[in-house]
Amino acid sequence: MSGPRYHRTRRQDQRLVGFECQACGFVSFPDEKRICKRCGDAPAEFRDVDLASSGTIKTFVVQEYLPDDIEVPQPLAIIDIPQADGSGEPTRVYGLLTETELDEISVGCTVDVRFRELFDEGARPINSFKFSVPREDKR
Amino acid sequence: MTDAHVVGAGIIDFGEKYDWSFEDLLEGAYLDLVESVDYGIDPTNDIDGVWYGTLDIANEGSSGAAVAHATGLFETPATHIVNACATGSDAFRNAVQAIKAEDIDVALVIGAEKMLDSTEGLIGGAALERLWRGRGVTMPAFFGMRATRHMDQYDTTREQIAAVSVKNHENGTKYPHAHQQFECSVDDVKESSTVSYPLNLYDCCPVTDGACAVLVASDDRAREFTDAPVRVAGYGLSTDSFQRGDDLALTNFPASRHASSTAYERSGYGPDDIDVAEVHDCFSITELITYEDLGFCEQGEGGSHIDEGIPHLDGEQPINPSGGLLSKGHPIGATGVAQIAEIFEQLRGEAGDVQVPDAEVGMQHNIGIGRNATGAVSCVNILER
Ligand SMILES: [Zn+2]
Repeated sequence: MSGPRYHRTRRQDQRLVGFECQACGFVSFPDEKRICKRCGDAPAEFRDVDLASSGTIKTFVVQEYLPDDIEVPQPLAIIDIPQADGSGEPTRVYGLLTETELDEISVGCTVDVRFRELFDEGARPINSFKFSVPREDKR
Repeated sequence: MTDAHVVGAGIIDFGEKYDWSFEDLLEGAYLDLVESVDYGIDPTNDIDGVWYGTLDIANEGSSGAAVAHATGLFETPATHIVNACATGSDAFRNAVQAIKAEDIDVALVIGAEKMLDSTEGLIGGAALERLWRGRGVTMPAFFGMRATRHMDQYDTTREQIAAVSVKNHENGTKYPHAHQQFECSVDDVKESSTVSYPLNLYDCCPVTDGACAVLVASDDRAREFTDAPVRVAGYGLSTDSFQRGDDLALTNFPASRHASSTAYERSGYGPDDIDVAEVHDCFSITELITYEDLGFCEQGEGGSHIDEGIPHLDGEQPINPSGGLLSKGHPIGATGVAQIAEIFEQLRGEAGDVQVPDAEVGMQHNIGIGRNATGAVSCVNILER
């Protein structure tokens, strides 16, 4: 697996920073773009915003058929992560749920957002965000 | 400005065509078209332009010249169109635009796909690209997410979603070119193996090879080929992304709403005027949501719509009489062209065992998803007798 270096080195890969379009309020994450994906403003003015460390599942699936090198069953969700200070709009991302069983997740439930090593590329770790049901909610 | 009219259609039986090359597929569909045009066609003299739809998953075509070689239509301008799973219907739309612009008089639209010869496959592509977006958003996952949310938000039941597959498989047993010719029950769908919860194997279209061709002509030329041309009344194309923060996109396909609105406006018809439709049912949930997106029922009422039998072959507004993608198969480049061919037959009263009585206005609809699973495209064409 050889991905471009920017997957590893971008600032937002290290912490929960989103990018809010000043024209329409759309929050881009983890991508820092120059054109807004909602209103099409080009060039758009984006402002850095801190994101909360937990989000809400909007919908999900549990994948059973994947290439051999990916573990199944694999829960996958669309998650809205609000801004840390409660203002503005949340950002919407796809995320893998780890350490999670099917009966622990539902539309509307809260999940923790964190960064961890997804896999390593040779000696260099690739970090990405992952989601999990909070420990205290586990049955 | 002239209108565009469908004046002929040719198709091969869809299925597993391991021993057919890409050229064999194109030849098959083209020959069937040439042989079936009512008053005949002089191919090299009559056809002014070719639009070729394929994603070229097997890496064989990738140019309009692939059609020229397969058909002998050399020196005819031929263009390869790619637009995700809406490739075939967008190839048709492009041909219609050229005729309406009076640039040409007669167009061949041909679509083909060898799905089974793909070395990488769509699942592999989706899983290994775009890591940070959530490693491995497959097609069934992408559509399954809408199913989960639709069930949660509108109390749509698992049985209602499965009923779409049951209907289309039943229709497919009556359609001669369908890949999968078997009936199944709601329980069969629910008990088939899980692909991506909540979708099971029988909620998913099969992997199918196929090809289809249609002939399109201007006002001046249409009656040279047939006394029963089918007029293209309107069309629309639109794009969207799951990720724009639009909550409607969690349960619906906003691109389908936009594309169909455009097609309704251009044609002067509304949802109630559509007598028969061939719509995108790559997964059972896709068709159920599409009832809502195309205005055949209200938002959130897709489940009760199928419960009431409205989209059944003997219902008030039959959807996918050919068995749809779920039974007929989904050879991507051919899919939209085959839907046009089926509507053409329906409006001419030539649809055999799946004929909808007195069909006068028909619709064809595709939706497509990009490999990174964020882009969506929708293409809608409306035809009339
Ligand atoms: Zn914006």
